[in-house]
Amino acid sequence: MVGARPDPDTLSMESHDEDPTTPQGGDHAADASDPSERATEKSGDATGPPGGDPSRGPAPETPAAGGAIPAGGATPAGGATEGPRRLYRSRDERLIGGVCGGLAEYFGIDPLIVRIITVGLVFAGGAGFLAYLAAWLLVPEEDGESVADGGNGRLATIAGTVLLVLAIGTVLPFWNGPFGGWGWGGPLVSLICLGLAGLAVWWVASGEHPAASGTRDILRRAGFGVALLAVCGLLALGGAWATAAGGGVIVAVVVIVAGLWLVAGAFLGGARWLILPALALALPAGVVSAANLDVDGGVGDREYRPAVASEIRGTYKLGVGHLILDLRDTKLPPGDRPIHVEIGAGAVSIAVPRNVCVTSKAHLGAGQVNVFGHGSGGLDVDWRDARQAPAGTTRLIVDGDVGVGVLDVTYDSPSDHFDRRRSPADRERGNAACIGGVRG
Amino acid sequence: MARRDLDLPSLVAGIAVVLLGAVLLLDRLDVLSLRFASLGPLACATIGAVLLASGLGRRD
Repeated sequence: MVGARPDPDTLSMESHDEDPTTPQGGDHAADASDPSERATEKSGDATGPPGGDPSRGPAPETPAAGGAIPAGGATPAGGATEGPRRLYRSRDERLIGGVCGGLAEYFGIDPLIVRIITVGLVFAGGAGFLAYLAAWLLVPEEDGESVADGGNGRLATIAGTVLLVLAIGTVLPFWNGPFGGWGWGGPLVSLICLGLAGLAVWWVASGEHPAASGTRDILRRAGFGVALLAVCGLLALGGAWATAAGGGVIVAVVVIVAGLWLVAGAFLGGARWLILPALALALPAGVVSAANLDVDGGVGDREYRPAVASEIRGTYKLGVGHLILDLRDTKLPPGDRPIHVEIGAGAVSIAVPRNVCVTSKAHLGAGQVNVFGHGSGGLDVDWRDARQAPAGTTRLIVDGDVGVGVLDVTYDSPSDHFDRRRSPADRERGNAACIGGVRG
Repeated sequence: MARRDLDLPSLVAGIAVVLLGAVLLLDRLDVLSLRFASLGPLACATIGAVLLASGLGRRD
């Protein structure tokens, strides 16, 4: 019933001490059911020296740390009181995994206090959730079995449950509100997903019997795991590149066929090996699709400096690289001038004269948009900065489509967009040629 | 002919991969627009379902 117990090495001694055949041990076993004696035992837990002091020898009024009371203090020399105080997940004080109960018993406080603190930490960016999950996985139960010791089947069950909860939670509207820190793409969720993805690889690579015996067996499994990861890496890169290069339909069809093969293999057998390669092909292709990454426009740096308005194209497109459109020396007549820019991965820098009003909208799969020092960043970025220009002023209408990267509009040299993005000067004087608008 | 036991992880993974592939296909055909906000939960659900099926299968 306690969360803090002596070292398992000493448990055999405790069992011996509490042997019913021993008169004192039998008395204690009977006393343990008495509430008054139970209270005494708790008090001893809280005030007793952690782990006991070997130099003090047996002390009848001071039970061993963790509450495994020696029989009337008849502890053998260096007996149960010598073990270090250990943290266990409680079996008696358990609502979910016994973590809070175990902590409460370890520190000798009311479990309700620990639960309130934990719930409070869940609302503080999810720290309580992470800490509870880590403790659940790592701290053993009172019988000495941790989740990890319980076999990777149980570990996989817990990991799968957590992932499903995350998947459901991130699509619920309230999850981005009072819970704070649970927005998709936030560092907390990303870290959890990264850790669990690593766990998934370990699960598949470990096979059915992870308890390898012998060097040859370990090497064989390690080799299998490395080869599987290499194949999956190639599949991931190939699938992502093919999707970005316009072969997304073919990749999707291959993924569907692999899935149907798995379904058939579930009944016929022998297809489980296909799980990881299928996911390795599908998920990166999904990332490329979500980012709308398209490398069709070529790879490299492109710089355009049109001298007159008639040289300005309607659309500028680049697959991967840095696209620069420098309009600072371009003679622009009054009126609207629409420009559409597309880049799969990389940066788009547009430099404009100071007497030009810029109205802009853009979608970025992942990255940062910056218009005269104002902008937005992250995943699935939709930027809109609608501006009106006074009569006789040129208005540049920028429509950006960026897979992964940066869209930058500035007055200055477009050669170094990363430093300038942080410049407050642009923000002060940005878009002064306009007469108002709506940014969002 | 010996009757084989149903392999739950393969079945769950297969269904999840088919769904994922279908979403990819629809996105490429411009029937829907896949975004990170929907891909993230979808990927989590896929991996989670496979892990859960595997874990439950091994505990039998």
